[in-house]
Amino acid sequence: MSHDPPDFSKVKGGGSSTSPASNDSPDFSNVQGGGSSTATKIYEVKSGDSLSKIAKREYGDANAWPRIFEANKDLVKDPNKIFPGQKLKIPPK
Amino acid sequence: MNNFTRYLTIALVAAGLAACGKKEEAPKPAPAPAPAPAPAPAPAPAGVAVTSATLGSAIGADMRVTAPKDAFAKNDTIYVSIDTTGAGQAKLTSRFTFTTKDGKSVPVKEDSQTISPTGPAVTEFHISKADGWPVGDYQVEVLQNDKVVQTKRFSVR
Repeated sequence: MSHDPPDFSKVKGGGSSTSPASNDSPDFSNVQGGGSSTATKIYEVKSGDSLSKIAKREYGDANAWPRIFEANKDLVKDPNKIFPGQKLKIPPK
Repeated sequence: MNNFTRYLTIALVAAGLAACGKKEEAPKPAPAPAPAPAPAPAPAPAGVAVTSATLGSAIGADMRVTAPKDAFAKNDTIYVSIDTTGAGQAKLTSRFTFTTKDGKSVPVKEDSQTISPTGPAVTEFHISKADGWPVGDYQVEVLQNDKVVQTKRFSVR
């Protein structure tokens, strides 16, 4: 009499738990960040930047752009013309 | 001249000749002068140095954390306030990470600011998450010119 091994090929599995899903790999893609300093900051101009955009980002007020212009008159002659790669001094708030 | 006188004369002449043939000793070298005292090392350039980093959930107008803490609520904005001394230019970076239960580090947020202080300064970085922080353990590394200079651990409960 032969003893063939049992056939488990049709076994199906699964599971569930009442505990919350693991947070071992949480999603941080929506984290917002920023920073400021009491010191003058150096900002490198990127493509698409304008003084008002930089002022909005740094001071929260686009109308504060003249402060940045005044601090960089040695470098920026026309406030409408800044170029990627320029390093602007950003006075503290 | 008797024999004694003759021998004495010969002896004296021989001694004189021997003395003449003797090599002169080389003068001893003067002892090396004592080494001059090493010049005082030039003072290190007065660059920017990070002196401390403090965590909290609010800062004042001076950019300093108002109430330091290392345990936060899920909806807190988390600030790290960095004190520096010195003048010059430095790139400061904050690198926030979450530590999983098995010890892996998950990036949360990294930001940099290049500062040009003329004396003591305070620089802050902050992070927030509208839907709340996952509970667990975190840390923030503060880097100066891409080198870690401070590490602070904190938790969200």
